[in-house]
Amino acid sequence: MISDPHDPFAHLCSDHGGEHPSVLNLPYVPLGLKQEWLELETRRHFLGRGSKALAWAGLATLLGRSAPHLLADTGALPGLQPHFAPKAKRAIYLFMAGAPSQFETWDYKPKLSDLFDKDLPESVRGGQVLTGMTASQARLPIAPSFYKFAQQGKAGHWVSELFPYTGKIADELCVIKSLYTEAINHEPAILSMTTGNMFPGKPSLGSWLAYGLGAINEELPTFVVMTSKMPVRTNVQALSNRLWSSGFLSPEYAAVALRSGGDPVLYLQDPKGVSRDVRRAVIDGVNDLNRQLFERVGDPEINTRIAQYEMAFRMQTSVPEVTDFSDEPASTWDLYGPKAKEPGTYAYNCLMARRLAERGVRFTQIFLRTWDNHSNLPTNIRAMAEDSDRPTQGLITDLKRRGMLDDTLVIWGGEFGRTVYSQGTLKPDNYGRDHHPRCFSMWMCGAGTKPGVSHGETDDFSYNIVKDPVHIRDFHATILHQFGIDHNKLTFKSQGLDQRLTGVLPAKVIHDLLA
Amino acid sequence: MICWPDLSLPALLSAVLLALAPSFAQAEPATYADRVAPLLDRNCTVCHGAEKHKAGLRLDSYAAILQGAESGAVVKPGDLKGSEIYRRITLPTHDEDFMPSDGKPPLGSAEVVLLEKWIAAGAPETAAFEAPPLPPVVVVPPAAPDYRSRLAQANELARTLGVQLVPRSQVSTDGLIVRTASAPAQCTDAVLAKLAPVADLIVEAELARTQTTDAGLHAVAAWVNLQRLDLTRTAVTSAGMIALAPLSKLEAINLTSTKVDDQGLAVLQANPALKKIWVFASAATPVP
Repeated sequence: MISDPHDPFAHLCSDHGGEHPSVLNLPYVPLGLKQEWLELETRRHFLGRGSKALAWAGLATLLGRSAPHLLADTGALPGLQPHFAPKAKRAIYLFMAGAPSQFETWDYKPKLSDLFDKDLPESVRGGQVLTGMTASQARLPIAPSFYKFAQQGKAGHWVSELFPYTGKIADELCVIKSLYTEAINHEPAILSMTTGNMFPGKPSLGSWLAYGLGAINEELPTFVVMTSKMPVRTNVQALSNRLWSSGFLSPEYAAVALRSGGDPVLYLQDPKGVSRDVRRAVIDGVNDLNRQLFERVGDPEINTRIAQYEMAFRMQTSVPEVTDFSDEPASTWDLYGPKAKEPGTYAYNCLMARRLAERGVRFTQIFLRTWDNHSNLPTNIRAMAEDSDRPTQGLITDLKRRGMLDDTLVIWGGEFGRTVYSQGTLKPDNYGRDHHPRCFSMWMCGAGTKPGVSHGETDDFSYNIVKDPVHIRDFHATILHQFGIDHNKLTFKSQGLDQRLTGVLPAKVIHDLLA
Repeated sequence: MICWPDLSLPALLSAVLLALAPSFAQAEPATYADRVAPLLDRNCTVCHGAEKHKAGLRLDSYAAILQGAESGAVVKPGDLKGSEIYRRITLPTHDEDFMPSDGKPPLGSAEVVLLEKWIAAGAPETAAFEAPPLPPVVVVPPAAPDYRSRLAQANELARTLGVQLVPRSQVSTDGLIVRTASAPAQCTDAVLAKLAPVADLIVEAELARTQTTDAGLHAVAAWVNLQRLDLTRTAVTSAGMIALAPLSKLEAINLTSTKVDDQGLAVLQANPALKKIWVFASAATPVP
């Protein structure tokens, strides 16, 4: 593969070499063509969904809107309530796409400094298959972290010097060092993390929550996604709406993706000469036609369509209010930093996430990519940390002072870990790290998670887990548990299975993470 | 020689009780009817009982237990290793044969020991056998009266008032949440007063950004089971806090962006139930 150093999308990864973001992100594709592509995509989805459509016909007609009103007049148990009293009402998931290295962030490995440029012992690697990017390397030389660590707070978490701000709130964090996954390449790994399955077509975590719990605020989407402006222009990861799709669930449970520039949601403004009343009348008319069609053919997708027209109309009022930051006190900008004023930055998205959570959006997922540091890791990861450290701390501090951290779960992490050995040339101050699925670190905070906990341990090379492994399934089961959901009971029939986020293999709630 | 450093009398007593605890736990006469049948009923008979009898097995009577499953005996009196039921409940939880199956909670370790003692003692039907007592069951008091018979009423009330009354969970004694996020401006003091018919069911009130004032808090004061109250960005003041004094279950109150000051805060702090008070951007001095 020839990579052009001036091409912002040039990439070293073999698994998505040269892969660009979605067709829709490409500037040189005419708008009309994009629209046509979208329409075709919708038609394909529609045809593909025919088979599963009837499964939720009953539900869709029962509910009309997705909020869990008291449904029954009969005294029967309502269908869309948590199984038990929840600790979390909402979550903000800070998705560090591309997979941050655990060595420079949350898994401190002091013994490695004596092993600079030594070969990774075969006994540690245990014959593991490596990616095509490093399998042919003559050596696998050990690369100690370029960055120093210090213990912070009462809990004594070892925190990297890359995170001076997050270090201040270290006592709030529940750090897990023993996550693992099966996938060694980005797309299957990021799908596993977002949907519980490495194959496309499954609902994402946010969609399951929307389906299972409904909306808190019917004027806003239940599930919102924001992608952030990239602090680094190398190692760019593709993100696609597969990661926040509703899979086989009704499309109304998919995320509404807020755009990072211009109008946060396209076409919310009334066209010139069209008043809000006229808009309302048009939507009523379209809904009537759709209802007639539904009565004739009974396809529940039609109800979804009606619900989406209604949501779009409601967002005409609710979105401008939530995206207008003029009512923020001065202290907000001190917390999140000056970049929070620039739409689309990670800092801006963090502030937006708080505003959405305040108004009852259940699940907000912020994607920050370019953590995929195969080369020049020390330089690039510093830029990533500088972009995200302060707003992350700002968000948690802000949630806490407003009493929201009590029932808002915050999650930070990527899709897998990185290798202890250097990819490419190793120097004390420059190296790269390849993908590593056997262990990685994440943290959670708020909503009944145990503050100050450090869970799980890896070996001295952060290569293998030696204590308390946490599979993604367990992680998902734990998140659902905080929302009052038994992961075995949140199911949807599709393709002959009672499908669930945690899949068919056993998963367990990690109670050690919970207060 | 054991030294007792500065132990208060209650601490000393509890230390003594702890020391005695193992001797209590040693043994206690148990019978099939008293202990084993209820255990099986709790853990097994959903699938192996009158309604369903998976694998041809019923565990809801002594005779049925000894009769076993299609594939043979599950309890062999006196033969722990030969008893299929014991093998299954002691497998690793991820094993295909593990029971209870389908992700139902595994038996507690004390429950496993009870079955072990019973089988080892010859699985007697009426005779007593020695088994350690089960740990005391922690009974969580219900948060509110059972909502099931009152859902229709609550639903109708919510619809007319433009708020939502949402069960906190499917546990029917977990109470209702007053939810206003969709249209906070519609929620006025008058609306709060009209929630009186379900007052005892309300455990949580999300009133942020509503039109609630001090006057409305008199209605809130009648919500005797209220645990959490969010008054963020409302017009309430310190004067209104006095009304909340009778709420003996109120654990958390959010007064972010209100005019409540230290006087109101002091009133609230006198309520021993209140564990969390948030006063960011209010007139009160934040509690450290």
